[in-house]
Parts: sequence; structure tokens; C-alpha cells
Amino acid sequence: MPVQQGLGETAVETDEEFRARLRAFFADHHPGRPPRDPAERLVWTKAWLATLFDHGYAGPAWPRAHGGMELPFARQVIYHEEFAAARVPGPLGTGLNIAAPTIITYGSDEQQRRWLAPMLRGDVVWAQGYSEPGAGSDLPSLRTTAKRSGDEYVVNGQKVWTSHGQSADILFALVRTGTQESRQKGISYLVIDAHAPGVDIRPLQDLTGGHLFAEVFLDDVRVPVADRIGEENGGWKLARTSLGHERAAGSMNQAALYRRVLTELEELARERGLLADALVRDRLADFEIRVRIMRYNAQRIIADILLRGEPGAASSVSRLLIAEFEQDLHEFAVDMLGPQGLLGKGSPLAVQRSRWLQGFLRTRASTIGTGTREIQLNTVAEQVLGLPYDPSMPPR
Amino acid sequence: MSASPSEEQEQLRRLVHDFLQDRSPVADARRLAESGADGDRAVWTQMAEQLRLQALVVPEEHGGDGYGPAELGIVLEQMGGVLLVSPYFATVAMAAQTLIASGDETAMRRWLPGIADGATTATLALAEDSGAWDAGLVRTQARSSGDAWLLTGSKSFVVHGHTADLVLVVARTPDGVGVFAVEADAPGLTRAPMDVLDPTRPLATVQLDETPATRVGTGDASGWLASVTDLVLAASAAEQVGGAAACLAMAVDYAKVREQFGRPIGSFQAIKHKCSTMLLQVECGRSAAYAAGAAVATPGPEASTAAAVAKAYCSQAFTHVAKECLQIHGGVGFTWEHDAHLYLRRAKSSELLFGSPASHRARLAELVGI
Ligand SMILES: Cc1cc2nc3c(=O)[nH]c(=O)nc-3n(C[C@H](O)[C@H](O)[C@H](O)COP(=O)(O)OP(=O)(O)OC[C@H]3O[C@@H](n4cnc5c(N)ncnc54)[C@H](O)[C@@H]3O)c2cc1C
Repeated sequence: MPVQQGLGETAVETDEEFRARLRAFFADHHPGRPPRDPAERLVWTKAWLATLFDHGYAGPAWPRAHGGMELPFARQVIYHEEFAAARVPGPLGTGLNIAAPTIITYGSDEQQRRWLAPMLRGDVVWAQGYSEPGAGSDLPSLRTTAKRSGDEYVVNGQKVWTSHGQSADILFALVRTGTQESRQKGISYLVIDAHAPGVDIRPLQDLTGGHLFAEVFLDDVRVPVADRIGEENGGWKLARTSLGHERAAGSMNQAALYRRVLTELEELARERGLLADALVRDRLADFEIRVRIMRYNAQRIIADILLRGEPGAASSVSRLLIAEFEQDLHEFAVDMLGPQGLLGKGSPLAVQRSRWLQGFLRTRASTIGTGTREIQLNTVAEQVLGLPYDPSMPPR
Repeated sequence: MSASPSEEQEQLRRLVHDFLQDRSPVADARRLAESGADGDRAVWTQMAEQLRLQALVVPEEHGGDGYGPAELGIVLEQMGGVLLVSPYFATVAMAAQTLIASGDETAMRRWLPGIADGATTATLALAEDSGAWDAGLVRTQARSSGDAWLLTGSKSFVVHGHTADLVLVVARTPDGVGVFAVEADAPGLTRAPMDVLDPTRPLATVQLDETPATRVGTGDASGWLASVTDLVLAASAAEQVGGAAACLAMAVDYAKVREQFGRPIGSFQAIKHKCSTMLLQVECGRSAAYAAGAAVATPGPEASTAAAVAKAYCSQAFTHVAKECLQIHGGVGFTWEHDAHLYLRRAKSSELLFGSPASHRARLAELVGI
């Protein structure tokens, strides 16, 4: 086995040594609690991401050439476990999860050099501009156009629900370079400078009262042709690039997070003397079951990848499980608190700064964002179970 | 075991799968259930002689192959898939695991070789008239008389209890709860099948009237009986996953071929969403059952927790999936001739045997300190 050098790794480091090294790093550099003010928080998060990167602890799955750690899969799992345990902030924007794999797979060498490391370091925040007011689940009907003019595209249209849009420096967007009728065959993948003339990003207030996402207006925005990833009209395939194994490695992270949230909820129920209520206990035990299954699923997906190179069927359903779990959990917490559960954080009577109510509202998005529950169920039915396509839907 | 089957375990799975599909498909479960037989002798013998399935968890020194609950789970998942009518679950998952957990060398030497080679069928009788799987509620009395013990009382819901060659009876003694071996020809033993929902899994009443018995293990057995319960729960969960997976496969196959409104019903979202949700439950159940299979190999709190999680989840999943399978089959699903109701019967029966999901949630809450 080739010896891995650099990034402070010794040649014969064991899993346990690796774990210890991560723990020591997290302990030494832990950023503490995030500031509440959104602008301050952005600066604070960026500083943390830079620290991670500069010490060689960013991008567990990423190639070393782009500043990542290029860890074998089993080590990625350890990385995510420790990350979750340390309670340090995760990546900023949607670039790392969605754009980066696309760039790594399809980007030119020059594009990779230019974009990847700054994204990983948190210097540049990337946001995803796919959805449009008229194109959500039916993304192939999108209407934002990019017309070729010399070595530039001129982009016009509107994007919506863009997460982190307000703090974005770059938008990775799907745009129409072909005819409307060509649907997904006429779509290209463009990387748009969010500070370019003609880009207007307006925060959208979401139902939590916050600003999770924004709408983006594009008015004669000029984008170099060199900033297109992949072929013209070949963007659809790129948008389907999945994280697959990386996401599987990170699935432990989610299980750990919800283990913690549930323990906190149980604690709250105990403090309020609600554990004597058989119904409360039954519901808490049901969440206990689901949060454990979340971990078992993650273990199984990881073991499947390690043994067989494939994640198996559990991976296709674990997101559905988590979405339903987090919605049910927060709603139950609100119910359990009764009228006090309805108080916002402005009220002195609010319990735990209203986190459960905020969670109840926030997790409504779990079954909408990145593909609605209905669309996911369709996909699982067709792609995993092999059920026939709906003939009233356009061909894929 | 790891969270996912090893190559060797995969081979075991394929072996058992192919054997059962060939020798005991679900049509045979129907035939046997309708005839009231408690299994197919020839299949039983082949399972023992060719596949050595009865020997699976029996330690090598007692004529077995020394595998653990994880492998047993793999076998039971396949058996659950075809609703195998057989005293296998009772003999291996219940009785053999009880004898092993007792640590009683004499008892093991006496009965395990017969179980391993298929000569002996056996079961564990714990529940009484209430059906509760709770050693604390046992009222059957054991009285010592010289070297022997005499049992008096009645047991109910005894899995394959009317035919088992050996019945392990949980009874109350002056020094706590004990486990006693009663052979089929013991005087004062009367047994009868109960009239129950699931004909593929016969349950019996067992009456004991001053019936001579041999004590298995010494002292109060409630401690190690708790670990037996965990083993039985994990085994039951694995079997339920197999049943649920079979229902899902049946539903999906039908949804691909049954046409209404000029297209396969599986192209309609209402059906697709049902099937995907069934898959969610089957896969989550499988993760839970595998985790339990691994955890119960070592007795302790983690074993109990994992077993309770798996039993509670898999029970609900199997019943839900069986109901949806029936629904997806429409009118044909409601007919006696269709297999859907056989699975529904097995599902509901497995759900309530060894403790309902709600009772396991309550136990889990205790275990994790909620
Ligand atoms: C918090 C949040 C963050 C988001 N972040 C981003 C982002 O960063 N970038 C981005 O591009 N997008 C983002 N989105 C948008 C998200 O991807 C879309 O909201 C989603 O794809 C659904 O599209 P829609 O909102 O237009 O709903 P619609 O597609 O109009 O769906 C409305 C309802 O109809 C159902 N439906 C639609 N089509 C079908 C069908 N064929 N079969 C059955 N049911 C159907 C849906 O399931 C849903 O219940 C975000 C959304 C949220 C909520």
C-alpha cells in the first residue's frame, strides 16, 4: 500500500491515531459559539473554514491537488464522526456539496484550479441557481436564457429560492442555451459572478421570518464562455452528478446530530416532569427508534460501500427517513410544550429560545428543498423498484 | 458482524434462498397451513442433512456449526419470505438459543446434538393465558421432589408447542424463575393447538399436571432469560423483514403488470408512493434487524436496546407493508386464493407475539432512561 505523506500524517498512522489527531485539532482550534448577527456569523464561519483549510483539514473526500485530504472512504467516515462530535460549523453555501463534485468531474483543469480551492477555503461562497418561479420540480422547463455573443453569454431571467443567495459570490446556474422545446437537451451549466453588473439578488423572507434564501434577477449579465462547465446544451447531465459516496460518508454526521437533538428533547421532557405521561414516553421511544435506525442505516450504507463498492438500497431511503423524522420530532416538541411551545424567541416565557418552534417551521423545507418528497418517492419507485414511468410525464 | 453481510453470509443467504424457493415456496405454506400440518418432514430433513440449518447456532462441541445470531437472522429472513411452515423458529431460535444461553453443560450435551442433526424439535413455553412475554408474570409452579422437579400449570401461545419433542417451560420455583425441560412423553403433559389468526405459525396450549421435568441452569433464571428474549426478538425481527420484503416484491411485480386506464397501475403515483414508502420501511427494518443480530451476540444493555428497536420497528413495518400489498392487489388481494392474506396473518401474528411494538417502546424507554 502506498504510503500517504504530507498534511501532518505519519506514514503508518492508524485509524485511532487519525481520530486522536482530529480531536486534538478540533480542541485547539474550536471556534466556540457562533455570533447571532448574520453578518458577523458569515465572517466568523469564513474564518473557521480558512483555519480548517490552512491546516489541511478541509475536504475529506477532495483531491489533494485542490486542497482536500483525499482520504480513503473509511477515514472519511471517521472524519465526519469527529466533525459531528466536535460541534463545529459545516460548509458555507451549497457549492461544496453540489457544485464541487460537478467541477471535479467535468470542469477543465483551469476551472478546477481557479474555483475549487477558494471554495473549499470559504473565501468564495457559491450558491445554486437552478429553480425558477416556473420551474421547480419540472426543472427542465426553465426559462433563463443565455445567448451567445462572441466569447460571452448574455444571460436574462430569474432564479428563485436560492439558498445563501445574499452571501453568494458565485452562482452556479442552469440556463437555456437551446430552444424551450428542447427541454433538458437545451440547458447549459454556467458559473456566474454574483457581483457582475445586471445581477440583482434580493433576500426573500421565508416562513421562519428569516432569510434562508433569495431571488435572483439576471438582466443582460455577461458571462465568459470560458465559465461554462461541460458542453453547450450538455448541462443537464452535469446537474445530475451526485455526491454518492461522499454523502454516505457524511450520513453518520446527520445521525450524530439528531442523536444529540433527541437527547436534548428527552432532557427537556424530564425537566418539565412530562416523562410520567405514557404518551410522551411512547412518542419519545418512537423517535429513539428512528434515530437509532438512522445510525444503523448509515452503518449499513458505509459497510456496503466498503465491502461491495455500492451503497445499496438503504441509501435511497435514508433521506426520506430523516426528513420525516425531523419534521415529526419538532412538531412533537411543540405539542409537548403546549401553548408555551408557540412562543417566539422574543417572549421571556419562550422555552430554549424557541428552538423547537423554529425547528417546526424550518423543517417544513425538508420535504421540499432539493427535490420534494413526492418527486423523491417517484424517483425511488422508478429507479430502485423499477416501476414504469408515468406516461403523462415527459421522457427523461 | 458488520452492518452489512460478509461474503460468507451472502453465500448462506443465497443457499437458503434457493433451497426454499425450490423446496418450500409460499404455495407450500398455504398447503401445509390448510392441512393443519406443522411442516414438511422431508424439507425438515433436508434442511438438517444437506444445509445443516438446525446446527447453525449450536456450538461445535455439541454437534453444531457455532455460528451466531447474525447468521440465524440471515436464514430466518429467507424463511420469513416464504412463510415457511416449520418448527425451525421454535426449535432453533427459541429452544436451542435458550439451552445455549443457560450455560448448562449437562442440558446442552443432552439435547443440543439432537436439535443440531434434526432429530429433535423443541420450543420455549413462557407466556401464559394473557399472552404476555414476561417471566415476571409466570404462575406455573415447579416443585422439587427428590432429584426431580414436578411442574403444574398451563402455558399458552407456545410456538409449535403441540408437536415439539422437547418443551422448555418457564416456571416459578422457591428460588426464583426457572427453566425446565419437559419431554413429549412426560406424564401429566397435555397439549392442543390453539385456534389462531396465522395458520402458518401454529400456537399451542400446554397443560402440566405434576409433570416431571429436568431443571436447565441453576438459581434464578430471570437474568439469562432476558438475554434469551433479546435473541428471540432479534430473530423475529429478521424473519419479519423477510416477510415484508416478500410483500413488497409481490406488490411491485403486480404493479408492473396489472393495467387499468390503459396503463400499468405502477405508473400511477398513488401506487408508486406506496411502494417507495414500503421500501423505506423494509430497508430501515433490515438495518435495524442486522444491527440487532450483531448486538445480541453479546448479552447486555446494548443487546436489549437493539433488540427492542428492531422488534418494534420491524413488526410495524411488516404489518404496514402486508396491508399495502393487499391494497395494491385490489379485489384479487381480498380473495382467499391470493397469498396477501397469508402474509397479513403472519405479520399481525408476529407483531403481537413476544410483545407488541408499544410494549417494546415502553421497555426501550426504560432501557435508555427516558
Ligand atoms: C429551503 C429551501 C431552499 C432551497 N434552496 C434552493 C437553492 O439553493 N437553489 C435552487 O435552485 N433551488 C432551491 N430550492 C428550491 C427547491 O429545489 C424547489 O422548491 C423544489 O424543487 C420544488 O419546486 P417548487 O417549489 O417549484 O414546487 P412545485 O414543483 O411547484 O411543487 C408543488 C407541489 O407539487 C408537487 N409536485 C410537483 N410535480 C409533481 C409530480 N410530477 N408528481 C407529484 N407531485 C408533484 C410537489 O411535490 C409539491 O408538493 C430551495 C427550496 C427550499 C424550500
